[in-house]
Amino acid sequence: MKKNIIKSIVFIFIFCAILFIITKILWLPPNAISYFYKEKENSLDVVYVGSSNVLAHFNTTLAYNLYGYTTGILSSNAQPFALIKYLLKEAEKYQNPNLYIVDITKITDDIDYFSTENIRECVDSMKFSRNRIEAINEALSYRKDVSKNEYINYYFSFLMYHNRWKYNPKTNIVGNKNFYKGYWFTKETCEVVPQNTYTWKKDLVPLQEDNKKILISLINYINQNNLKVLFVVPIRCYDEERNGRLNDAIRILQENELNVINFNTLNDFDDIDFSRDLYNEAHLNVYGATKYTLYFAKYLKENYELEDHRNDENYSSWNKEYERFKENFKKMVNKNYEELLQK
Amino acid sequence: MVLTSFVFLIFCVITIFIYYIVPKKLQWCILLISSIIFLFWNNFSISTVIQALIVLIPTYILGRLIDKNYNTEKAKKFLILGILIILAQLIYLKYTNLFLTTANHIFNLFNIEYKFNLIYRNSLIGISYYSLIMISYLVDIYRGTCKAQKNILKCALFMSYFPILTSGPFVRYDNMENQLYEKHKFNYKNLCNGLIRILWGMFKILVISERLGMIVNSIYGNLNEFNFIFIFMAAILFPIQLYTNFSGSIDVIMGTSEIIGIKLPENFSLPFFSRTLAEFWRNWHITLGAWLRDYIFYPLQKSNVMQNLNKKCKNIFGKKIARKISMYLSMIIMWTLIGIWHGGAYTYIIGSGLLQFLFIFLEDILGPTSKKINNKLGINTEVFSYKLYQVIRTYLLFSFAMIFFKANSVTNAIDIIRGIFTISFSSLFSKERIYAMINNIGLDMFDFIILVVALIVLFGIQLLARKGKIREKLFNQNIVFRWVVIYTLIFGVIIFGCYGAGYNPTAFIYRQF
Repeated sequence: MKKNIIKSIVFIFIFCAILFIITKILWLPPNAISYFYKEKENSLDVVYVGSSNVLAHFNTTLAYNLYGYTTGILSSNAQPFALIKYLLKEAEKYQNPNLYIVDITKITDDIDYFSTENIRECVDSMKFSRNRIEAINEALSYRKDVSKNEYINYYFSFLMYHNRWKYNPKTNIVGNKNFYKGYWFTKETCEVVPQNTYTWKKDLVPLQEDNKKILISLINYINQNNLKVLFVVPIRCYDEERNGRLNDAIRILQENELNVINFNTLNDFDDIDFSRDLYNEAHLNVYGATKYTLYFAKYLKENYELEDHRNDENYSSWNKEYERFKENFKKMVNKNYEELLQK
Repeated sequence: MVLTSFVFLIFCVITIFIYYIVPKKLQWCILLISSIIFLFWNNFSISTVIQALIVLIPTYILGRLIDKNYNTEKAKKFLILGILIILAQLIYLKYTNLFLTTANHIFNLFNIEYKFNLIYRNSLIGISYYSLIMISYLVDIYRGTCKAQKNILKCALFMSYFPILTSGPFVRYDNMENQLYEKHKFNYKNLCNGLIRILWGMFKILVISERLGMIVNSIYGNLNEFNFIFIFMAAILFPIQLYTNFSGSIDVIMGTSEIIGIKLPENFSLPFFSRTLAEFWRNWHITLGAWLRDYIFYPLQKSNVMQNLNKKCKNIFGKKIARKISMYLSMIIMWTLIGIWHGGAYTYIIGSGLLQFLFIFLEDILGPTSKKINNKLGINTEVFSYKLYQVIRTYLLFSFAMIFFKANSVTNAIDIIRGIFTISFSSLFSKERIYAMINNIGLDMFDFIILVVALIVLFGIQLLARKGKIREKLFNQNIVFRWVVIYTLIFGVIIFGCYGAGYNPTAFIYRQF
């Protein structure tokens, strides 16, 4: 009997080891959330949460290089707003930041954007935990087309990704080199695609009921846990309806005595040139992101107590990532990044 | 609860774990509770509870009454009453539409405009299985093969033992009685054997059957887009899809039961190596065949009606032919019932019933002539080539009948057959058409390669299985080889299985019965 127990344990151990390797290879390519987990515990001063605007707009390595504080990114494409609460919970588990920044762009979208892809890109990168299960349950509760029986496919992502052997798993093995401490920089984000300048309107359009419920739930969570949170409305192109809804969201947040910074209405930030600084209507390119980061990083340093780690050996990876970013910027744009900063 | 689902896996793990840690005298209670959970997993409502009780309570009471009045006229009456109650529910829940469709056809024939609307009812999972199992229970008590169960809860366990509810096999009370209620000690060898069998079943279903299902469904669903070769390919692949699906399910069931310590009767014995259709059916869904033989065919043969017919025919045609006539009559009734049991539709009655009978009938009456021709032509029927010809012939006949089984309607089946025999050579030489057909086949190149490799593995294992018990052979190997084989199988299923999100798994073909 004893021999059989030992054999079984060894068998299960080998099974788990092989499964672990295979899972790594077949999983979704790493994204900003995966890299968030790689940061040392309690090493982040700021955690920035939200949809793809966050990825493309805030160059965390530049902010570190200028002011020495570290920023973790918990962002995924079209991130369902209902997941923000759970991402904050996730951040709380591993980090003890002085400030959370929440991008609220997605609070205005119809609940249809809670698509399988958008939910999965976020939750599949989260570590398996009760929080992740709750995040899935809440996100799927807005989906009438997904029956409870199908939730299991979201809980255990391998049920989805086991057939990714057909696709090139190289990124899973070597990592995604387009992330620089959560900042997304690629050939695409170097492109200049002129957009029409958007002028912010003051009109107010009521938030959709579901979205309002999600926002109130987030506010309650923040208040209950005494989190220091700054809400952000990024600069980009909008339509009037989204603009109006964001005004309603800002009203609700301010009524709850929460800080909101709307980059579209700041008097001292008019650097963004819509004809040069965006690579599509929703995202700043590397030039726009640099302007945005220069302003926002300084604003954060001046308004919040954020430690400078630049002389701390434990944070050397941040310098390395900044150097790697500069090198790749030079390769892609044929210019030194410093030249851009001097402008 | 689908047999290959994660939920079923967890359900089994929890059940088996509790089963072995509770006091041994309570083990059967755990099985009963699990079976009740399994039975009502998808649909717990008053109507489904009533459905279960309608079979359980009368069967239990009548079983005891038959036992008490053994060998009397009363026992016969109780038996008939019991069978009628079980059949009435089965027919009401499963075959109403067969009657309504038939009535609509008759109305149509006589130009009557009235048409019945078909009725779709929620029936308990496994109703076709437990109905026949409970009939056999009553008959066996009547025949004195077994004693009636005195404990209604134990009777409920026999009726609802969860592994067999979805796809069988059919069990007999005398085989199950001791196994179900006796105390079982945990057995490591049973665990290993059971897990390997489950794994092999998963491999058949998830790696092979699901992929074949994609091809077959793509082709049958878009007949106009494919030429005769592709439609023929779908027709000959469907029996393998059906086999891997059904026998795979049985492997999962047998494996699960083996871990629990309960040995179930085998349901398949390498059917595709059969040389005649009669032999094929002795190796395919064995327990259904045995059930029908013992509870339909033999009683029919011994019935007064058949005996009288036999006597009358003997006077006219002689003893040998008279015996054949009564046998064929019993067979045709039995095969029609097999067709009806498979589903309340004409496609099943034709595909898995009447056509099978026709082919077996032809084999039987043409057998002697064929033997004579072979003798005259000097054909050696014991060589490999002749056996191969017989195996292929049997397979093709079965495949042909299965066109009806798979088709949505009889008209659809005729369209498929027409598609096979509409030979257009121009479609063979049009590169664009061939590429279009390959693109629409439902599988990409990667999946196709996996399917071919898996079929080779299946075929190889089946060949080895003919020479002895594979699992025993595997356990006799040294540990490194054994584990490499097992890990390969496990990860083959995990990585290459068609399951989870992104797949739309074919329903378990036999589950609906």
